[in-house]
Amino acid sequence: MGAYIFRRLWQMIPTMLGVVLLVFFLFNWVGGDPAYVLAGKISNQEQIDNIRRQLGIDQPYYIQLGIFVKQIVTGNFGASWSTNERVSHILITRLGPSLTILVPLLILDTLISIALALAVAYVRGSLTDRLVMIVCTVGLSVSILVYIIVFQYVFAYKLGWFPVQGWGDGFWHNLVVYASLPILIGLVVSIAPDLRLFRTFILDEINQDYVRTGRAKGVSENRVMWVHVLRNASIPIITNLMSSLPGLLLGSFLIERFFSIPGIGREVILAVERSDFPVIKAITVYVAFATILTNLLADLTYKAVDPRVQLK
Amino acid sequence: MTSAMRAVAGTLHVAVALLAIGALASLSIHTRVAHSASPADPAKVIRQVFPAAETGFDPAGAQDLYSGTIEQAVFETLLTYDYLARPSKLVPLTAEALPQITDQGRTYTLTIRKGIFFADDPAFKGRKRELVAADFAYSLKRLVDPKLRSPWAWLVQGKIVGLDALAEAARKSGRFDYDAPVAGLATPDRYTLVIHLTHTDYNLPYILAHEPTSAVAREIIDTYADESGRAMANPVGTGPYRLKEWVRGTRIVLDANPDYRGFTWDFTSDDPADQVLIAQMKGKRMPQIGRVVVSIIEEDQARLLAFKNDEVDLMDLGGVLAPNVMDGDRLRPEFAARGIKLSRIIDPAIIYTYWNLQDPVVGGLSKDKIALRRAMAMAYDVDEEIRVVRNGQAIEAQYPIPPGVVGFDPGYRSPVHYDPALANELLDYYGYRRGADGWRALPDGKPLTVRYASRPDSLGRQQDELWKKALDRIGIRMEVQKDRFPEMLKAERQCKLMMRTASWIADYPDADNFMQLLYGPNTGQNNNACARIPAYDRLYEQSIRMPDSPARDRLYHDMTRLIEVYAPWRLGVLTYRNMLVQPRVLGYRKHPILHNEWKYIDVSARDPRQ
Repeated sequence: MGAYIFRRLWQMIPTMLGVVLLVFFLFNWVGGDPAYVLAGKISNQEQIDNIRRQLGIDQPYYIQLGIFVKQIVTGNFGASWSTNERVSHILITRLGPSLTILVPLLILDTLISIALALAVAYVRGSLTDRLVMIVCTVGLSVSILVYIIVFQYVFAYKLGWFPVQGWGDGFWHNLVVYASLPILIGLVVSIAPDLRLFRTFILDEINQDYVRTGRAKGVSENRVMWVHVLRNASIPIITNLMSSLPGLLLGSFLIERFFSIPGIGREVILAVERSDFPVIKAITVYVAFATILTNLLADLTYKAVDPRVQLK
Repeated sequence: MTSAMRAVAGTLHVAVALLAIGALASLSIHTRVAHSASPADPAKVIRQVFPAAETGFDPAGAQDLYSGTIEQAVFETLLTYDYLARPSKLVPLTAEALPQITDQGRTYTLTIRKGIFFADDPAFKGRKRELVAADFAYSLKRLVDPKLRSPWAWLVQGKIVGLDALAEAARKSGRFDYDAPVAGLATPDRYTLVIHLTHTDYNLPYILAHEPTSAVAREIIDTYADESGRAMANPVGTGPYRLKEWVRGTRIVLDANPDYRGFTWDFTSDDPADQVLIAQMKGKRMPQIGRVVVSIIEEDQARLLAFKNDEVDLMDLGGVLAPNVMDGDRLRPEFAARGIKLSRIIDPAIIYTYWNLQDPVVGGLSKDKIALRRAMAMAYDVDEEIRVVRNGQAIEAQYPIPPGVVGFDPGYRSPVHYDPALANELLDYYGYRRGADGWRALPDGKPLTVRYASRPDSLGRQQDELWKKALDRIGIRMEVQKDRFPEMLKAERQCKLMMRTASWIADYPDADNFMQLLYGPNTGQNNNACARIPAYDRLYEQSIRMPDSPARDRLYHDMTRLIEVYAPWRLGVLTYRNMLVQPRVLGYRKHPILHNEWKYIDVSARDPRQ
């Protein structure tokens, strides 16, 4: 196990290098020269050159790339070009609100989707199963934008059950008052595709011989479904779950924008709008790093869930 | 004593102790209120919404409108604008009076009012810090400090004697010497500031009313500045409010500055529409608002719902939402019935389309090139833009100087009209022949294709469509050139774009701020048409040596005629700014130049309709 983890961590280095090169050249190519925006309404070439010199974008590419690598190694991405706020401070302060929305959403979505998937898989082919599948198909065909606009209008404005927007100071206050509606919207959007996917995983298992054997031995239906079937269907479910974990770092920019939540997703959009390369670089690198780590975590979890899995 | 009695006695002790603590706390609050110079009531809260995020609150560092709005509440300039006077009128703020102008507009002398103090801050080490003339001299120097890379350097660059030399020395040495004397910034005594200019400039008073020239204290910058010398997160000024809480891009809370000196509301206006608010506000000690809560809501629907849900008191409607709220120039009945008020102004800004006069296809001052540009100008339907793009919340611009700006002429009517038939005749006359495919060629027979540059957003796409339709009408093939804004700006400064629709909002309400946009030497800066029209440049050079006067207005008329003749621009629209105001807000009127009106307004405890 130790050797496997070490090997995987070692393999991260070329992957991260690839990410670094891609991010660096992509944003240098499409990101534009921010000096002209930062220089203000009226500026001369001397001022623009001064800005480029201070930001280091007048340096040859290999030097800029070297600085980028050093920033990754030290974890110090400097300050935002547009606000002068430290990038580390941006990440720390914006991550909390995003996680306040996305962690409960991920947990609730996973639990509800698994429970419903087990239930509809159990009655597969029935009218209930078909109806649920139709609702899911319709549900996932609708854009999240529509859900946000309709739910905000109906539940926040018309019914007044939630505030239209806002964010406070206390965690519980934010979770209960401001995060409830965004989480509800997130659930409506994510349950439909997850339910369909998990149902497929469970249906693959439900027809296996071990299920028939269990039933023949007199194991209760609850135990068959919740223990035996779920355990064997859990590997693809874990894969799905792990693949969504890096998304926590990105937040949900649409939900954050509509509900004025100071999360990381909103920050990403602002950074792109402002050509704020240090912020974009830092977030992209951290998301790439988190993706590689969660992939490793997923592999380790497979082994824990299913002892037959061999880590090579 | 029985256990029951002990319990009762214990409860009484606790109650008495709590009452005592409460009384002391209350006494403490009242004592603070009694000692506060500001008349602001902490219970009076105004809630405003911004449609975009701020960047920070250093007057020399931030350049966006929303940061500027907060800066205007925290910091103070030497001069400001009368709240109700239209067109905008300068009045003293921290200065005793308007500047004394001598030496044919080259020397300005200002006296700072005594007894104005910065808000308390640990950087002052427990001492009261009085505002003095040296603070303004320091703040003006900061604008040219190369390390700060201030976007407002142009306000003073090339204007104040000795300041450019100091900046140049800093560029060479890598350190800006704030203690070095600058001949153009003299402080003969603690409260007197004398500014010597390199040349006559009657616009300096407007610059001194612009928030980048607000007074900052050197101790604050020394304590809180980041590597670039900016203190974006620690605004400490002499203004009526101070920063209480800041959740970046989400919420900004300002509390009344208890040390603010206050003033008595005593504004006058001849406008009948102002008489109600004058009656509501006259004689009140200001500011009344104790707390300002600003929410940043980028999405239009969320912003409007927050206002309709009474989560916001003041909101800039914007053109996109106008059809939801307004019928033409009035509020829709459901809003009017709720007592919601509308404060409507034409923004001191122009939207125009320019052609690059250095471009080989559309540029140049020869007759055929002028005819080409004039034909394109006549083919464009501004009314359609107002209807389709601006949702009726704009009017056609007739003059390059917008309303509310000194030099505006309300009677001027532009001879440039939508007339595609005449445009076609003009092109035919100058030899722009149509080919078999229906598209015109240049007089020398080479293909004619015009590239229109625009941003990749919804407004940009709408403008593409309108200009494509316009040029289709006269048989000119048009291509759309899309680019990211920074790259487009770069190409524009390098005179590499062919045509684009741009806008300009007044930095200060004087015609010069608009007429300089076509001055030849400003090419590569803000002369985005890269125009070098000798006759225009000569008139402009005369105009900058003159104060506001009928003679200067005549020059502006002549310059406008030159714009129409040479057609470097097609003037587009003037947009309305519609501020929605909840019924409980008293005394509100949108000011065309000031970014916020918080210190001039009040809120009633209850809905005044009740």
